[in-house]
Parts: sequence; C-alpha cells; structure tokens
Amino acid sequence: MKRTYTRTATGAAAAALLISIAGAGCSDSGGSDGPIKVGSINGVTGLFQTPEVPKAVKAVFDEVNAAGGINGRKLELISKDDAMDPARSGQAARQLITSENVVALAGSSSAVDCGVNRATYSKEKIVSVPAIGVDPSCFTSPNIAPVNPGPYTLTTAMLYYASETLKRDKVCLAYTVLPGSGGGIEAAIKEWTNLTGKTLTVKNLAVGQGDPTRYLVQLKNAGCQAVAYNSAVGPWFQQAKTQGMQNVDFILAANSYSDANAKVIPAGMNAYAGTEWQPYTDPTLPGNDRWSKIIEKNGIQKTAFSQGAVMAADVFVQVLKTIKGDITRESVTKAFKEMKPINYPMVGTPYVFGPGNEHNPIKGSQFVKAENGAWKVLPGGFTVPTKK
Amino acid sequence: MLNSVIAGLSSGGGYALLGLCVVLTYRLVAVVNFAMTAVGAMGAFVMVTLTDEGLNVWLALLIGAVSAAALSGVFGAALARWFAGHREGTKAAVTVALFVALTAIGVRLFGGTSTGARQFPNPFSDPVFTVGSVVVPQSVLVSLAFAVLITVAVGLMLTRTRVGLKLQALSERPATAQVVGIPAPVLAVGVWSGVGAITMLVIVLVAPRLGGDFGTLAGLISTALAVAMVGAFRNLPLTLAGGLIVGCLEGMSASVDSIQKYQGVVPFLVILVLLWWRSRREVWDTAHSR
Repeated sequence: MKRTYTRTATGAAAAALLISIAGAGCSDSGGSDGPIKVGSINGVTGLFQTPEVPKAVKAVFDEVNAAGGINGRKLELISKDDAMDPARSGQAARQLITSENVVALAGSSSAVDCGVNRATYSKEKIVSVPAIGVDPSCFTSPNIAPVNPGPYTLTTAMLYYASETLKRDKVCLAYTVLPGSGGGIEAAIKEWTNLTGKTLTVKNLAVGQGDPTRYLVQLKNAGCQAVAYNSAVGPWFQQAKTQGMQNVDFILAANSYSDANAKVIPAGMNAYAGTEWQPYTDPTLPGNDRWSKIIEKNGIQKTAFSQGAVMAADVFVQVLKTIKGDITRESVTKAFKEMKPINYPMVGTPYVFGPGNEHNPIKGSQFVKAENGAWKVLPGGFTVPTKK
Repeated sequence: MLNSVIAGLSSGGGYALLGLCVVLTYRLVAVVNFAMTAVGAMGAFVMVTLTDEGLNVWLALLIGAVSAAALSGVFGAALARWFAGHREGTKAAVTVALFVALTAIGVRLFGGTSTGARQFPNPFSDPVFTVGSVVVPQSVLVSLAFAVLITVAVGLMLTRTRVGLKLQALSERPATAQVVGIPAPVLAVGVWSGVGAITMLVIVLVAPRLGGDFGTLAGLISTALAVAMVGAFRNLPLTLAGGLIVGCLEGMSASVDSIQKYQGVVPFLVILVLLWWRSRREVWDTAHSR
C-alpha cells in the first residue's frame, strides 16, 4: 500500500516537473508577444488586510488594456495573498518570479513582503513598486521603491509640522515602535533636528498596551505643547481629556487616519493626522479626481491604500511606456533604474526609482484635523520638511 | 516618579476587575479560561454596534450582556459535554483555541486597530479629585467599588449559601458532586453564562481606558492572567490587590527611562516571579491541591 503511494507520488512529481518546464517555455512574458505579466503580493486575509489594492491596480491595467495596451501587449496582474505570513510571502515571490515569470512587481501591499523578499528581488534583478511600503526594508532596499512616504519620513514631517507650522516650542513624541524599526524612527527625529535645530522635550519610544494615563501624565508634566503619536487612538484621547490636555496638539501618524478614529476623538481635543497621499476624504483635491473616478467606476472601497494602488499602477505604466523595444524583466528593471522623476499630484514630491541602494522618494505630508467626528483637510497643501 | 505611580494605581481597579473574572471562573468551574476577555469583547461590540445604530444604551447593554452570557454558556456546555473528564491543562488548551478563533472572527467582523475603533459610553469621566498632577476620574472609583463588590459578594456566596457550597463541590470534585445529586452540567453552564455577562460588563467599564478595538480588548487576557496569578487563582482579596500591584508596576516602569522599553513584559514578569516564588518550597512528586 505504502509502496504504491510512493510510486504514485513520484510519478505525480515528475509530471508536475514536466508541466512546469513546458509551462515556463511557453508562458515566458519576457518575449515580445502575449500579455505582460506583472506580479503583486497583497495582504488580503490575515491581520493586515488590503483587498482593495489589487482590485484598484487591476482597474488601472484594464483601462490601459482597453486603450490598446502597451506596444499592443496587454497588462496582466497576478496578485498573491500572503495573509501576513512570511512563509507564504516568500513562496508567493518565488512563484511569481520563476513560475509566472513576471517582468516586475507593482502595487504590492503586505506587512511582510519587503523584509522577506528583498534579497530575492536583488538576486533576480527584478524591481518592486509597492502601493504601500510597510516595514523598514521597503525603504532601504536596492530593488524596492514604494509610492508612499512611509513611517520615517512621515515622522519627520509630523515633527516639522508641529514645530514650524503650528509653531509649538515644546515638541514631544510618544510612539509604539515595532521590533527592528527603532533605528529608523531615531534617524527620522535626527533629520528633524538637522533641519530645524530643535530637539524633543520628551521622547518615549515604548508606548505599550494598557492604560495610557501613565504616558499622558509624563507628557503633561513635561509641559509638552505638541505630541507626535502613532498608537491606539480611542483610550488615548479619552484619558487625555480626563487629564485636561485640551490645549495640547496631538499629531497622529497615517495609520490613525481612518473614519472610525475621527469618530472616537472627543470634542474639544486637538487632533491632527499626517496623510501619505492627498486626503482621500476629499475627492476634489489635486490628483484625487482621477483616483476617485476609477475607484467609483469599479465599485472599489475608497481608502488611502487604494490611492497608493492607483498611483503605483499609474507610475508603473508611465515607466513602461518609455521602454523602446521588448518589454522584459531586464528592460523594465533598467527603465526604473534610469527613469526621470514623475510628478504625481497626489503626493508631495516627485516619484523616482533610480540606481541607489535605498529608495524613499516620496517625502512630505498633507495634514488633516479632527472636527465633529470627521477629518477636515487643512489649507496649505503638502508640508515637505526643508532646511530653515 | 510619584505621579507615574499614582497614574498606574488609577488603572489598578480595571486590572483587578479583569483578574477577578479569571479567578471567578477558575474557582467555580475549575477552568483557566483564556477566551474570557474575547467573549466579553464580543458582547461589548454587540452593544456598541447597537448603540451606533441608535438603540438606547441600557437596552443595548442588556442585549450585549445576554449575548456574552449565551456565547460563554455555549463554550461551557461544550467543555462540560466533551471535556468533563479531562485534565485542567487540556481544558485550558481548548480555551486558548477558542480565544484564537474568537479574536480572528472579532477582528474580521468589527475591524482592526485603526478601522475598528469604537466609542464606548464613558459616563464616569468627570474628575473627582487631583493627586499630584494626576486627575482621578469617577471611573477609577467605580472600578474599585465594582471590584470590591465582586470580591465580597462572591466570597459570601461561596461560603454562606447552599448554591455556593454546591459550586465549590462541583469545582473541586465534579464526579463526586454528580454522585450526590448536584446537577453538574446545568450548574456549570449557568456559571459560565453568569461569568460571561459579568466579563462583558467589566470590558465595557474598562474600554475607555484600556482599548477601543476588538483585538486590544480581547488581548487584555494577558494582564488578567497576571493579576489572577497574584491571587493564586483562588484568593479574591489578593487578586484585587494584584490589580493595584500590576498597575503600580506599570506606572513605575513608565517613569524610569532605562526600563521604559521593557514595560510590555511587566505582566509576564509578574507571572514568572510568582510561579518561581510559589514553587520554591515544592518537593518533587508531592501531590498538592489546587
């Protein structure tokens, strides 16, 4: 019985191998006919869920295909769900690169992809343009360049907004720092100090779960006038109100910029949030018109993540259009490494990939304020930290 | 430093309540219930979903408590039906599995940290007095009063009433209890339901301080277990004190820069130290009662 099983399994494996070899031969997207295969790794299930991202990327590709594709070839998106599981993420990247033979990755949105797959992307000489860079490796790898500012440049922008726009003297920071990203946050604070010549009054990089009163009392006693904050919103503001901190400006990171959070901030508290793209709650802002049109037409959820998706897809298509000759993995990688900056109105600075070993092209943030249970866009456009 | 300790102490009442719920379940049905806070959070989110829809707060609170009681009762019935004869460790493992499943379902239904933040009613937010520079709101006193009430009432019920006696018998010798005619499964399901409803009330009370999204509230179980450990899963007054101790330690660790980044491990450190302390006089292979 056992023997039969083993023989069947061996047979099946051999057949699978044959099929995959044959498959690789005829589905090679590096050629000059057939669809251009593009991969993406997205968290669809699991703790970090962004199901709208692959939908939005596909919507942009469909639009390009309807207009005749690129050099007559259609774009095909192959999205893999990694469920925030590093093993699945690694497997997804290998499948996309070796079995599907994609020319590049565009519109990834996973909390683990960059960290797990950065070495693979470098080794295979393939580029990734994530819709959302989440972990630190997304901003420090040779072959990855996301279209969002990410937590580090955003932190610099938040502190800059507090000290330069709101003109607060005592600026403090209370952060929950994920393992491995403490250095990045320290560097972001140093960057702010370099630009403005100012230092933090209180720096707490160890905000944990549980009652926030102890942190709030520390900030209150130090006389903080503005606090950059990136952790859970509800209890923080309830207790800040109890402790009488109505005159403090709290500046939240982009992860707190959600409709649900705007509703839980009590009246009378000053809460701002730094956004990564133009605030999605106002479709009339520059760049948002195109995004909202494509999202509404395809019935996709309106979120900040879907903005990143449309931007990543748009940037990808624009770079592909500059390629003369065959669109292959080599030519796509070369095109990104040599591309000219693209001005995209949804963000504060031009997007460029370039030849460097680290990429964090998008800087700056547009700030919104919580008013009557909703986020109100503040005038003044993007705040891009510059030397004073 | 003093201010941080006072700030920590002010959260002690909430922690004590969570610990008391664990001790209560353990004393009455002899199960370390890891799914406890997840069940309470489920009821609490049923409540806020209804209040968001415009339902009266008291009615929503009642429906939420009943749904937590029902859910907890189902779990209790399942444990009594399929795991009655098993060891405590097995039952605890079952509740760990239930915790994981409930958390996944809850996060899917009610959203994650930033998309699932909800406004819980906070009727006791008015300040009562100020110690140092810490404003102490009514909710601190209400939590402490509720914790004392549970400690005294359950203590009296267990020692002074017939039902209490039956429950004690059931928890310590379930088989013998059944032989002498105590309706074990029915009583157990009743206790599970009651504890489920109380936990839901506790979660609603602590939510404005300890977390507004499902994952965070369900995750309060680690703090609850640390607090229960202080009372050795048996002693109610010690558990009450345990809440204050954990709060105080958290406050202290937040105020000292060098240990600040390790404060997340405070509950686990408490568990570890107590386990070591309790086992220091134990002799290998000696049978000891719960």
